[in-house]
Amino acid sequence: MTDRRSLVSVVDDDESVRESLPDLLRQFGLAAEAFSSAEAFLSSGVVGETQCLILDLAMPGMSGPDLQRELMRRRQDIPIVFITAHGDESVRPDLLARGAVECLFKPFSEGALLDALNVALRMR
Amino acid sequence: MIVDTPVESSVGEVRLRRCLNDLISILALPAAWTGNDASQIVGTLLGALVGMLNLDFAYVRLNAPEDGPSVEFARFGESLEHLVRPRDLGETLTRTWGATPVQWPLSARIVLGGDQLSVGAARLGLHGELGVVVAGSQRSGFPGQTERLLLDVAANQAAIGLQQARLLEEQRRVSRELDRRVAQRTAELASAIDELRRSERESRLIIDTIPALAWSARPGGAAEFFNRHYLDFVGLSAEDASDWGWTAAVHPDDLVELTATWHHIMDSAAPGEAEARLRRHDGEYRWFLIRVNPLRDESGAIVQWYGVNTDIEDRKRAEAELRRVHNSFADAQRLSKTGSFITDLVADDHKWSEETFRIFEFDPATKISVKSIREVIHPDDLPSFDAVIARAMTGVDVTFGFRIVTAAGALKHVRGIAHVVEQVAGRPMFVGALQDVTAGTVAEEALNRARAELAHVARVTSMSTLTAAIAHEVNQPLSGIVTNASTCLRMLDGNPPDVSGARETARRTIRDGHRASEVITRLRALFGKKDLTLESLDLNEATREVIALSTGELQRNRVILLSEFARDLPSITGDRVQLQQVILNLIRNASDAMAGVDDRLRQLLIRTQPEDGDRVRVIVRDSGAGIESQSVDKLFEAFYTTKPGGMGIGLSISRSIVERHHGRIWAEPNDGPGATFSFSVPRGPASAGGAAARVVRES
Repeated sequence: MTDRRSLVSVVDDDESVRESLPDLLRQFGLAAEAFSSAEAFLSSGVVGETQCLILDLAMPGMSGPDLQRELMRRRQDIPIVFITAHGDESVRPDLLARGAVECLFKPFSEGALLDALNVALRMR
Repeated sequence: MIVDTPVESSVGEVRLRRCLNDLISILALPAAWTGNDASQIVGTLLGALVGMLNLDFAYVRLNAPEDGPSVEFARFGESLEHLVRPRDLGETLTRTWGATPVQWPLSARIVLGGDQLSVGAARLGLHGELGVVVAGSQRSGFPGQTERLLLDVAANQAAIGLQQARLLEEQRRVSRELDRRVAQRTAELASAIDELRRSERESRLIIDTIPALAWSARPGGAAEFFNRHYLDFVGLSAEDASDWGWTAAVHPDDLVELTATWHHIMDSAAPGEAEARLRRHDGEYRWFLIRVNPLRDESGAIVQWYGVNTDIEDRKRAEAELRRVHNSFADAQRLSKTGSFITDLVADDHKWSEETFRIFEFDPATKISVKSIREVIHPDDLPSFDAVIARAMTGVDVTFGFRIVTAAGALKHVRGIAHVVEQVAGRPMFVGALQDVTAGTVAEEALNRARAELAHVARVTSMSTLTAAIAHEVNQPLSGIVTNASTCLRMLDGNPPDVSGARETARRTIRDGHRASEVITRLRALFGKKDLTLESLDLNEATREVIALSTGELQRNRVILLSEFARDLPSITGDRVQLQQVILNLIRNASDAMAGVDDRLRQLLIRTQPEDGDRVRVIVRDSGAGIESQSVDKLFEAFYTTKPGGMGIGLSISRSIVERHHGRIWAEPNDGPGATFSFSVPRGPASAGGAAARVVRES
């Protein structure tokens, strides 16, 4: 169903997410890279290869939406799945309106993540 | 002519000759009398009669010219000379014949000095008006015919002489009187001239000495005279200043108007005045008040103008200063939209500044009364206004705030203070200031609304922030747990199963589980904190701050707030912010409890008072819905509420704060409507605060 070589990049300041999520993505048969900040991702050299970006909403420094804007500025049209630990549903419509594929609230289920990834990767 | 019949010719001849000689002598008497006075005439007459008629006495009584005392004269012959005094003779005649000589007999006999005497009398003057002459002789038959003749002629001559003497005397008297009068007049004139000279000297001295510039001018306006001061002041000679020369010393800016006024005064022919600056000899200009009066002759025509110039420089400066102060005061009032007033409430007498009139948009001519003020007060604020007036009547300082609706329909917010300055006749005189705070109030209301919204938002936000923080802290490890568990399952489900990977993810799951548990522990610690920030504080002051914060809200809710702060309230040691939260909470509750009250005043009383046992009490009493006495205990329990939108935590938090101050909070229903909430806390850290302070150090 998905390209085995598809690279999914995870950007989150929370270490447990960076440890756990790439392992799950690999179990899905995807390639995965984790970055602790938006700045680290932008300077990583994998931006162009990234087929889908799983992006934490609130981070120190550049936030998730900041990175989204920066990528649009750079005309890097990467499908984005936002994840957030803040249980505020009100942010979701905004993010979707600005082009995000999905916004998942932590803790999210495996199924919800797969659905979002399917949508994102099909867009490529 | 009657002559004695000669008995013997020789004797008759001798007698006749003698008689004729005597007659001639008597007829010649008046010539000798010319220029003599009455006494001289009478003296000569008596001497002549005694000699000629060989008399024992001759007597004359002269009537005074105008009812004065009569004068007696007498001459005696040798026989009586030493026996009788002239006065005794007069008395004897009066006694014998009466007091009126005209009625005396022309011949008779009298007894004088023991002797019988024959007496003949003759009247002086045609009707005896001048007096009487009486001749007496010891010879019986006296007076004989020739003797009578001589006596009558002598009397007649004497009468003529006396008449002349009287005339002369009158002339002399008149002359003397004239002389006297002339002399008197002359003396008067001399003295008048002296007086005039002295007065002139004095006038001149006065004119030159008076501390004013005096001058006079001819009817046409040309100046004629200037006093010394004038000339010294302007530094001009009399010649230079005369006519119109004085105008050289008038300030150029004032000259045109002054000259016009001067001509106007002369045209109106009435006293007048003007103000102008005159240049002093040293070049400095000073303001003068110039007053001028006309002097008129009998026909009313003006013959001279007299003027006095008074130095009013100091007054002018004072006036200017006063005007400046007044203007700047008025400016300050206008700029700050602050009006002032002095009010005698008992007499309903109000003195307002211009700005106060302007704020109320009253005509400054309006007679202000409490009634006229009430008429423009917003109906909703009338109870509050009346309450302020009632309080003011008791003589205490008051602060007030109300809205007015002006005649033009403008809504204004007015705020002010008034304090008693003195008691006049036992009633308080208030001096106060009020301010149009419409702009401020509108802004303040917006601010209050914003603050209320912000407070609400802050409450909500803090709640949601708290929830979010908790959620975030817990969701992060939960997310790890779920992801790891999913990965673990997938690894175990693989073919072959990735057991070591699964073990790793399981290990991470356990770690994240611990992380979540730590978050909860941390949160519990966070909310378990009980430290107070202790400081010495004045509960009056702390309460005032809360009131200041709540004023806008209370006014919006039409709550009249009365405060009674105990004097000399001891300061306490406590957490200012937390205690203020308690007070704020009680005020808000009270205000909310009165929200539905429309049939009585929404009155809120806040009182502080010292309590026995070194405690301080704060009382908040409302006239609201009141409380059930059964539910009094439940009020302070968490989540118990009587308010539609309430959460039931305000009073429970208040109680925990008060208890942490080792104090007590309670509620009572009022006798009338409403409820009273009170709390009391101990004063110092000595008993309770010490422990609290330790808590602070330990945490």
